[in-house]
Amino acid sequence: MATSEQHTIPTNGTALAAFLAAGIGAFGMGLVVILNEAGVFAAPALYNPAGGVSGRTTLAVAIWLVAWALLHHRWKERQLEPRRVHAATSILVIVGLLLTFPPVWGLF
Amino acid sequence: MDTNLFTDRSIWTMLHGIVLGGGALLGLSAALFALVTMRAPRAEDAAPERQGRDIGWLTTFVAITLWLTVIVGTYVSFPPYRATPPEGLTDLTRYPRSFLLANPGTAWLHSFAMEIKEHVPWIAAMLSTSVAYVCVRQPSRLLHDAAVRRIAVTLLATCFVLVAVVSLLGVFINKVAPLD
Repeated sequence: MATSEQHTIPTNGTALAAFLAAGIGAFGMGLVVILNEAGVFAAPALYNPAGGVSGRTTLAVAIWLVAWALLHHRWKERQLEPRRVHAATSILVIVGLLLTFPPVWGLF
Repeated sequence: MDTNLFTDRSIWTMLHGIVLGGGALLGLSAALFALVTMRAPRAEDAAPERQGRDIGWLTTFVAITLWLTVIVGTYVSFPPYRATPPEGLTDLTRYPRSFLLANPGTAWLHSFAMEIKEHVPWIAAMLSTSVAYVCVRQPSRLLHDAAVRRIAVTLLATCFVLVAVVSLLGVFINKVAPLD
């Protein structure tokens, strides 16, 4: 029998959406950086004294926020398997970090 | 305000690295400890509600300080760091990027260390914000769901390592080519 306390605990979808979106943001940052380094796509500078980094980081933040909004909208009422989200978030963060690591840029 | 001790540029650098970055590291340590030692409450236990609220404040502090760190770093400290020196200038000490790149022994501090510092802290800010959001909006989920708590701990621990490494790289850069 469920206790009244259990009834007050929200589903985990909102939390998992926030976590996975952060992973997508990290991956987005890596993607934007590697595309810039490979000469495929250069985000325009939003503030010239800071150069291209202002455009790249703003774009990555935009990717993160859009992903968060979409995931939150889809998952906010749902109870999900946390292990998969944990694994996906970890992989996205690791790949994102690797793509921002200068020695990796030489591979592309 | 330029005094004999500090210039505007060095004050902003200290605000970026010591006050904000250091504050974020301290907050991350405390938040990690609080999350790791967090336990689901017994029925008669009144403390967890306060515990959840405190962790919410702590993680919010971390997220705000990290965002301020990256914004000040990118938009205030980085422009003078990357400024191009006038043609023919031989003393490059006022132009840290050019100064570092002019010497093969220190070029890595720009091509490796500063390149990492340009992007990685933004990832830390995103990760910490997601944890802060969950801590503030769903403290009961965090308290009762070990799996959700584990993800939060993983992300905060990742943040801690990233901020620590990036801070160390910042110390190296500032040691060789200070923004004075």
